[in-house]
Amino acid sequence: MTSDATKVNLLARIEELNQIPTIPAVLAHCLRYLEQPMEQLDVQKVTDMIAQDKSLAAQCLQMANSPLFGRWQKVDTLRGAVVGLGFQRVSDIAMSCGVLNMTPKDGSGLDPVVFWEHSLGCALVCRHFARKISYPDPGKAYLAGLLHDLGIIVNLWMLPKEFRAAFELGREKGIPLHEAEQSVLGFTHCESGRLLANRWELSADLREVVALHHSPQESRENAGLVALVELSDLLCRMSGLNYGYTENREVNLLEQGGFAVLSQQCRDLENFDWARLTFELDSYMDEVHALVRAIYRN
Amino acid sequence: MTAAPTQSVIALDGPPDPELVRIRDLVYQVAGIFHPDSKLRLLHDRCGRRMKELKSKNLHEYFECLTVRPARQTELVALLNEITIGETCFFRNQPQLDALRQIVIPKIIEAKAKLPLRRLRIWSAGCSTGEEPYTLSMLLLEESQRKLKDWTIEILATDLNERSLAHAKNAVYGSYSTRNLTAYYRQKYFAPAADQLQVQQFVRNSIAFSRLNLSDDSRMIFMKSLDVIFCCNVLIYFDLASKRRVIQHFYNNLLPHGHLFLGHSESLYGVCDDFRLVHLPGATAYLKGERSQVGKQGV
Repeated sequence: MTSDATKVNLLARIEELNQIPTIPAVLAHCLRYLEQPMEQLDVQKVTDMIAQDKSLAAQCLQMANSPLFGRWQKVDTLRGAVVGLGFQRVSDIAMSCGVLNMTPKDGSGLDPVVFWEHSLGCALVCRHFARKISYPDPGKAYLAGLLHDLGIIVNLWMLPKEFRAAFELGREKGIPLHEAEQSVLGFTHCESGRLLANRWELSADLREVVALHHSPQESRENAGLVALVELSDLLCRMSGLNYGYTENREVNLLEQGGFAVLSQQCRDLENFDWARLTFELDSYMDEVHALVRAIYRN
Repeated sequence: MTAAPTQSVIALDGPPDPELVRIRDLVYQVAGIFHPDSKLRLLHDRCGRRMKELKSKNLHEYFECLTVRPARQTELVALLNEITIGETCFFRNQPQLDALRQIVIPKIIEAKAKLPLRRLRIWSAGCSTGEEPYTLSMLLLEESQRKLKDWTIEILATDLNERSLAHAKNAVYGSYSTRNLTAYYRQKYFAPAADQLQVQQFVRNSIAFSRLNLSDDSRMIFMKSLDVIFCCNVLIYFDLASKRRVIQHFYNNLLPHGHLFLGHSESLYGVCDDFRLVHLPGATAYLKGERSQVGKQGV
């Protein structure tokens, strides 16, 4: 177990945060623009904004051609993607590319692809789950799923050696990554993620998702959203959308803190078909693996 | 700018055909077996074979064959036969077997730690031609050198079909059944038999094959003190009332820590509230829960 002094020392290093890339300016500008009422948005303006960043534009186009985002006919241009998919989907895609680009490509010795896969997979599962239980804001659920593990990106950048030790412990023992982090670092990606989420000035509910997705019962701002992410994250980790290793344990979703929280808000959860949701993940799994690997290769 | 080609692995050329989705949902509702989008092409092919036989022009017409025509029950069974055809082989569901070995067996050992009798009882209910119980026997033989040292292993393997049981007892298998066998298992547990493979006698020793109809209440009550039940792609053929009765028996037959494994993408949703759905790495199982506490468990 890490001593308190080491923990304080590690957290102090994280607080510097100056090595972590910020969201690309183009993307930040674009996302702010997309927050306006739909009727005020202009397709060409969105297209032009994304096109400024060639790499982002190419990735967005690649994602826009995936059935994961509801596209079944090939789209060749960014404008075609915006028109065909709509502003919400394009916003989701742009944000996904932006976040996925933030993982370090080397140095830590860990495969960033699996973090991409887990984050994108969790975003899709959150959105799908939200729709199935009539959760009021599936778009927010997508974003929450995408961003929930921001703290892992922080740890990858700021504490590559220590984080790698935690990751190896998790993989070797088949225990959840946050438990391994707690054991090695003295804190988890929830705490390091909270620092970055505050610095980015994310909305209060997204900050809670980042900081409390392993303890949703502590949430005060939007407990339902945090709980939804906890359950979706767990489903992903128990399936092929994990962090690259399987947790060697048996999980009953109904015993999770998030279930109690979410069932107070969503009546549809009482008779929910968890088995079907699990089987439906199979489709995401294959598609997420193919898409992320295709993007990463380019 | 042009899009870089990304090969979609969802094997469809467009959004899922609504008629195919209706058939998928019907099969799930009636039989409890689910085809995710990535497997819809497979379901389409299976329906295609039946449509050719029936000379149905399209999926809409075939859906009617499954729902409103007089022979709909027969047709549903014919489609389920197509869906499960070729499913039987050694090591059919590796994540499920890994979960048994790495998670469920240690839990059983822990639960029975204080008992004087070290006995593990597993039932392969609907064992067909025997690949499943032999797979279990091989895995448990491996564990008998490790976690299950000094344990008595009993595998009960039952099926309704006499011919399948005769095949199982003969224990000779061709290349299709043995396609998932690694060289290690092939060499250690099999002997050549002409151009096929025969399971060695020491693998067969722990298995008791017998004919059993899962609807036979008088026989079902005697399948007692089980740690694990495997019942893969068998309940899909039962109507809801029969399925509930069989599951009730399974519940009573299992010890308090007992696990029930079903086939890949097979669910008990709407059938029984007593079992709890649990997630294992890459697999699901149903755990015998305490009735009074469970309530609606979404199974």
